[in-house]
Amino acid sequence: MIEGIWIGINTAFSGYNIFMVMIGCFAGTIIGMLPGLGPMSAIALMIPITYGFDPASAMILMAGVYYGAIFGGSTSSILINAPGVAGTVSTSFDGYPMAKRGQAGKALAIAAYSSFAGGTIAAIFLLIAAPQLAKVSLSFQSADYFALMCVGLLSIAAFASKGQFLKAMVMTAFGLALATVGQDSLSDITRFAFGNINLMDGISFVLLVMATFAMSEAFMIIFKKIEINFKASDASIDKLGSIKLSKDEVKEMVPVIGRTSVLGFLVGVLPGAGATIASFLAWGFERSIANVKDKLKFGKGSIKGLTAPETANNAACTGSFVPLLTLGIPGSGTTAVMLGALLSFGVQPGPRLYVEQPEIFWAVIVSMYIGNVVLLILNLPLIPYIARILAIPKNILVPLVLFFSVTGVYLISFNAFDIYFMAIVALISLVLRTLNYPMPPLILGFILGGMIEKNLRRALLINDGSFSFLWERPISLCLFILMILIVLLQIYQGIRKRQTK
Amino acid sequence: MGISYTRISALIFLLLFVIYSYLAGEIKVFVFDENADFNARTFPKLISYLGIIVSFLTLVLSRGADEPLGKYEWLKVLVLFVLVFTYGVIIKSIGFFISTNLFLLVSYYYLGLRNYKVLLLCSIPVVAALQFMLHGLLDVYIRDPFLQLLGIIS
Repeated sequence: MIEGIWIGINTAFSGYNIFMVMIGCFAGTIIGMLPGLGPMSAIALMIPITYGFDPASAMILMAGVYYGAIFGGSTSSILINAPGVAGTVSTSFDGYPMAKRGQAGKALAIAAYSSFAGGTIAAIFLLIAAPQLAKVSLSFQSADYFALMCVGLLSIAAFASKGQFLKAMVMTAFGLALATVGQDSLSDITRFAFGNINLMDGISFVLLVMATFAMSEAFMIIFKKIEINFKASDASIDKLGSIKLSKDEVKEMVPVIGRTSVLGFLVGVLPGAGATIASFLAWGFERSIANVKDKLKFGKGSIKGLTAPETANNAACTGSFVPLLTLGIPGSGTTAVMLGALLSFGVQPGPRLYVEQPEIFWAVIVSMYIGNVVLLILNLPLIPYIARILAIPKNILVPLVLFFSVTGVYLISFNAFDIYFMAIVALISLVLRTLNYPMPPLILGFILGGMIEKNLRRALLINDGSFSFLWERPISLCLFILMILIVLLQIYQGIRKRQTK
Repeated sequence: MGISYTRISALIFLLLFVIYSYLAGEIKVFVFDENADFNARTFPKLISYLGIIVSFLTLVLSRGADEPLGKYEWLKVLVLFVLVFTYGVIIKSIGFFISTNLFLLVSYYYLGLRNYKVLLLCSIPVVAALQFMLHGLLDVYIRDPFLQLLGIIS
């Protein structure tokens, strides 16, 4: 392990990779700040650019983009009360009131220090937990992997659906169905291509991500007439106010950081939960344990109320790398996109990654520390300048997002069919999103589809076609029970919701 | 049971999954694989069952009225959709540089940007910088007859 960490440090601290982290954090902050464009779109936009890179550098860049985007989302939450990322919605509860009373600089500093602390503490947990879990997961068999992926799909449908579990399950099934288009990996039989040569290799995941997130988000800005009322002059240092914190304020933040970084990391590790749930839970948790006087401040510009979600969402981002790096199973939509990127580099994440390609495994972990430092020392002082991006009018922003999305997909295949297909998918996703069908389950279903089929095939062949493997192996049995519990919980919540109505 | 957009969408999904199920049964598999425990049809069949069940439940259990869809900017989105589609049609024939600039200029103009200086500054330098980054720095080749004609790229 020490040798692996050393390889990781050497890889991550090379001049080229430090530059990658800086570029990633910077680009992520800018993209994350734009309304609607979250880490998924930001990472998807990076994929075509990173094709010529070695996998470690590409992953380091994408990880930088990930927490950069979360940081950027916090900035727009605080300054204009329009979170660019769902994970920073709860940041606006206390960040925006602080900005309104002329403490925007202080709010941004609290967000940056909390993100730094949350990300760094969680990276230490990751350093300890990932190798242990990787060792345990070596005992996993196909049946366990199949069960684990089903848990992942069910939990993302349950957690990311905002009470629309059935719609999320429809999207999961739709994503799985899209994954079956093209050649079957074992028999080479072509399925659902309808004789179209462009579909024989299957649907490109970059295309699907760009269409369902970046492009449909650009359409959505026009479709719902979303307006951003922010002028470049609002980002001046005078208007933002001081970024210095007093001793008392730091004292108030420290215990909150300690508690919510653990909470955020644990929630991030759970498949499907991610930064959004972690930040809401942390805000609610801190509010519930606060004394009466502090409780009244929550939602009106409380330092604790801002520290909690900011720490938790960054800790959760780091935590979501645990299942990705150790089991090869993404815990969130964003890590699903990263998994797709890794697979396209020919890297198979999972327990063997830790043994066979330690430079990728450890370099990503070590680069998280560097990324957190970069965000703190580079992005925070630059906020008055970066925030001016919020002043870009939508009639310039939308065509640029459409252009980058189309170019991102076109550069992979140089096939005009992909552009037509992407435009159609984006239009369909726009309608589905308007009807409250969540998109992350579709992406996770699509990316996990191939792996689920492969593992189910092996498990069924070993068990003579019987599904009894689900309750015969202890790991599978535990996961099977978890699946049943998730479904029962959703049914219970559905019934309660109806009774309340 | 009233009609709502959610119910209509669930019905469409239900029909899609029924068709998908039928097509899954039509997948040609090898003769020796026909009665195997797992063949190329198995997984699509299982997905179709899941899809049929959940879309049927959405159809039956969804309640409450949707917000009206008519208040949104359908026309503008459709025009943008057509512009993206057209961009796809012309990108191969007239090359990346001109087609992208055309796409950006027309989109900006359609969305209400009338300042010609901004129009040009937000298109030509952006496309040129991206193309330089891809072609010159990252070695990603983009075929472009126009720039080839000018002798800028080989």
